[in-house]
Amino acid sequence: MDTKAAAKKMEMRGKGLGSSVTENPVFPGRIELPYTLTTGRAAATFLAELANHKIVGSRCPRCDGIFVPAQDFCAACGTSLDEFVEVPASGKLSGYTETADGLIGLVRLDGATNDFPHKLLDTQLGELKLGARVEASWAAEAEGSILDIEGFALGGDEGGEVKPLEPGAEPVLEQKYEMRLDYAHSYGPYYGMLFDGLATSRRIQGTRCPSCERVLVPPREYCDVCYVRSGEWVDVADTGTIKAFSIIHLEFVGQTREPPYVYAEIVLDGSATRLIHTVAGIDVEDAKERLQIGTKVRAVWKGGDPIGSLEDIEYFEPVFED
Amino acid sequence: MFTGSDNKVAIVAGAQTPFKAAWADRQHVDLIGDVINGALKGTGLRIQDVDFVIDSGSDILDGRSISNCGFLGAMGAHQKEESRVEEDGLWAALYGATKIGSGSAEVGLLLAYSKPSEGSVPAFYWSQCEPFYQRPVGFGQAAAGGLQAQSYLARHSLSDEIFADVVAHDWANAARNPAVDVEAAPSADEIRSSDVVAAPLRELEMARQVDGAVAMVITSERVAERICPDPVWITGIGTAMDQHAFSMRERDSLPACRAAAEAAYKRAGIDDPTTLSLAEVSASSAATELMVIEALGLADPGTAAQVYGGDGPAINPSGGALPADPIMATGLARLHEAALQLTDRVDHGPDGATSAVVHGAGGVGMQNHCVFTLEV
Amino acid sequence: MRDVAIVGTGQTVHARRRTDVSQAGLVREAVDEALADAELTFDDIDSVVVASGPALFGAVNQPEKWLVDGLGGRMKPVVRITSGGGTGLAGALAAMNQVSSGFAERTLVVAYDKLSEGALQYQISTLYDPFWGREFAVGIMGFASAYWRARIETLGHTEEAAAMVGVKNHKNAFLNPYAHVRKEITVDDVLESRPLAWPIKLLDVPPISDGACAVVLASDDAAPKTTAKPAWIRGMSYYGEADNAPDRFMLQSVPLQLAAQRVYKKAGITNPRRQFDVAELQEPYTCFELSYYEGLGLCPTGEAADLIASGATEMDGDIPCNPSGGCMGANPIGATALIRLAEAALQVTDKAGGRQVPNARTALVQAGGGWANLRGVAVVSADRN
Repeated sequence: MDTKAAAKKMEMRGKGLGSSVTENPVFPGRIELPYTLTTGRAAATFLAELANHKIVGSRCPRCDGIFVPAQDFCAACGTSLDEFVEVPASGKLSGYTETADGLIGLVRLDGATNDFPHKLLDTQLGELKLGARVEASWAAEAEGSILDIEGFALGGDEGGEVKPLEPGAEPVLEQKYEMRLDYAHSYGPYYGMLFDGLATSRRIQGTRCPSCERVLVPPREYCDVCYVRSGEWVDVADTGTIKAFSIIHLEFVGQTREPPYVYAEIVLDGSATRLIHTVAGIDVEDAKERLQIGTKVRAVWKGGDPIGSLEDIEYFEPVFED
Repeated sequence: MFTGSDNKVAIVAGAQTPFKAAWADRQHVDLIGDVINGALKGTGLRIQDVDFVIDSGSDILDGRSISNCGFLGAMGAHQKEESRVEEDGLWAALYGATKIGSGSAEVGLLLAYSKPSEGSVPAFYWSQCEPFYQRPVGFGQAAAGGLQAQSYLARHSLSDEIFADVVAHDWANAARNPAVDVEAAPSADEIRSSDVVAAPLRELEMARQVDGAVAMVITSERVAERICPDPVWITGIGTAMDQHAFSMRERDSLPACRAAAEAAYKRAGIDDPTTLSLAEVSASSAATELMVIEALGLADPGTAAQVYGGDGPAINPSGGALPADPIMATGLARLHEAALQLTDRVDHGPDGATSAVVHGAGGVGMQNHCVFTLEV
Repeated sequence: MRDVAIVGTGQTVHARRRTDVSQAGLVREAVDEALADAELTFDDIDSVVVASGPALFGAVNQPEKWLVDGLGGRMKPVVRITSGGGTGLAGALAAMNQVSSGFAERTLVVAYDKLSEGALQYQISTLYDPFWGREFAVGIMGFASAYWRARIETLGHTEEAAAMVGVKNHKNAFLNPYAHVRKEITVDDVLESRPLAWPIKLLDVPPISDGACAVVLASDDAAPKTTAKPAWIRGMSYYGEADNAPDRFMLQSVPLQLAAQRVYKKAGITNPRRQFDVAELQEPYTCFELSYYEGLGLCPTGEAADLIASGATEMDGDIPCNPSGGCMGANPIGATALIRLAEAALQVTDKAGGRQVPNARTALVQAGGGWANLRGVAVVSADRN
């Protein structure tokens, strides 16, 4: 999670605690991922030729169709398509709708077998009619995106013809893309209790399975193993033992600690489950030798008011018995 | 049932959470635990008797990758055979049925859940569009619905007035269904005066996304005979996917739904689906619900609006998907509902029902379809 | 129950990054090869199962709905199975049930990932509970390295032993025309390579790959009509385990043992080391292969380091493991498990070319994903059960 999201999380947690019991606080999550997507040869050609104000389609030799925008495979018969054609930049409107995202039209370019969706510009729902002529409106600057056609506007002449493509542009093989997804996760009764305890008094609570009598952290309604409803709430210690650890040197997007550091799976005293955290307060090189399965650790809490998160624990430090 | 297999598959039990706009006080695992536990209750089966769990949920909706992996404990899938089908829950049922049909297992749990209230429903759909052509222009589920409605009305020279009656019918049924949270069913007039959100469709003519979970227990014939006085038998299954680009598909009908239905009817030996007792169908909007009814062979093209309340199969006695669409769980909810009605466990089913057709769908503009037929 | 056989396989030539094809185009290459191998066309295929990693790997949700056009899947049953790193085998298992139950006669299974599209470690971190643990997760590598270190302490799975796995698999990858990493390395190279998540070092880690694999399954009716050399699937299973179950045993994978037990029983395997001629194991890190030797019963617990040191799992050993080079040759995660299955089918049908184990008739396949909590096993053989 990035720092902005973490800050927002703190803020939301604070709000949640201040609110009445009937309001349910939420845990804001954000997944924000960078991509460089490969377009494939048809889209690469289509997107490239937009800079020349050319609209590229694919001809299917088996169906004898002209598919626009250009496709790698004929959706009707699965044939691999490798013949590109240039189709006129105007055609007819074969469908339209208006949503929160604006006016979307289905455009059947002259000579094309199929429609494709795009934005409709400079018009209103009431002015549209099925079969109306529309023409592409080009963006001032081409960026190798379908939005190099800003959209389609009413107008345009008939009579254009499909012709073989004379390729001129370098194919746009890759496209930068970012996907951002935001969430407001519900805590639910079990996590709600856990996180409230963390935020108000740095308590770590679990639930005990009435059948196997083991304590589960985070708390949950059903014991994973016995599948019976868990019973009483119990406090577990902020001390525990190392079940496994490793030393992280790798750097990666979204990392919350600066390498090198010790990654550890810790079993808190009184619980039977694993907690993922870091071990510090020991030289990382020494850690290789001195830490072991079963090494005791204790939580080092951050100063200031807790936010109600695992981040309230700065790290775990080893407690050597010798 | 399945060609070449003598193994019958029975639905012996099921459970669902109430469907409501937001389960703000429950996590995914809480809802999942509720229905898994609920489905087993009263069957005499313990979790140890379950051979496998097949589940349906969405990483994009859940905000986690391979979200099944983190939910295995709540699913009762610890140290069991488990698989995630990232399609509507009716495909999880298809997988489970083939597992029992193949003779490789006897007791299966099916699970489907969604909490769309935690994330973005539009993002769930736009992220299904290929990223180069459709996604950047703002094409998504709403636009697809509007374009399908426009096309259906134009093809059959119908007025958009017909949609409100379909919606009012479904919501009135949902209001009688204790499993759907409905404060007051909207009247046809209220529906007709709700905001236009995907012209010509209005807000109340689109499916309402809800939070919820469904679980079902399916078994072999041998187990069903031992534990269940009134098993519901799966008699046919069919499924088919249409091409990706929405604009290349037929928009005034759903040929993939027709193909799925034909396959299911063929396996079940059903010649005339209008003789079935009931139909539980999924739809993204009032317009696509009508197209589904037609694709299932329950009405001629352009006439689906006239068969509601008629002599044929009772349509969506549960209310269907328009009042309550828990996205990944919608199709499995239809299956669960149909089974409840066929075994007379709910009051809102048709009297004396003995057979049903069940439909689930997925994808932008309902690209993918799955059809089950059932009998008691 | 009907028997099911593999009647065709295909793979892409895997690469660090393919800029010349989209995700759909990548998949199609493997499909074309599998159909050609089976001498079938799209018209012969009743249903399609797509398997791939998480939607976030490729920025496309439910990607089968995009891929369908290139799979000739229009108006056919198409379903996607996703189950982490082992998803290729989980997909094959779903397809096998379709055929075995009679729902389909011939089913196409396709599996892929185009990992070069995104930021892998961060994507993998999204597996973790957003409330509890995601902030400290280091993909699967942090987890895997921690429990390898624990196995070093308790089972003697040394860094040297794991390095030998890497050396062996890199060497084998030379024989595999589909592999994209072709680099001879030594044990010292591995030991001296840059630590990423100690004890995991750079050369313990597979490449990040773009790649796809396709397999055609057929019923016992259809298989003999399709090919003279079907590879019979004598058993296949895929188990899960709650990741944070109380006292979860982490030194061996229990779901792996459960899957193996079930599949061995079905296939009549009582002495895996003797009865298998070859094994294809999904070893996303070298240390995992050691663990699988034990979990799959190729050696007793605690003797994996001895097994690799004995040379038994080399190409000329008595139980060659990963003649394909395994993940070290290529690791397009979503496809990796199906690649293991396809490679096993090639071995038992004598079609494995330069990496052929002579006279191989019965092969062991292992796959897995998640936090070592999703594990699958299959037995593929020239002979029917």
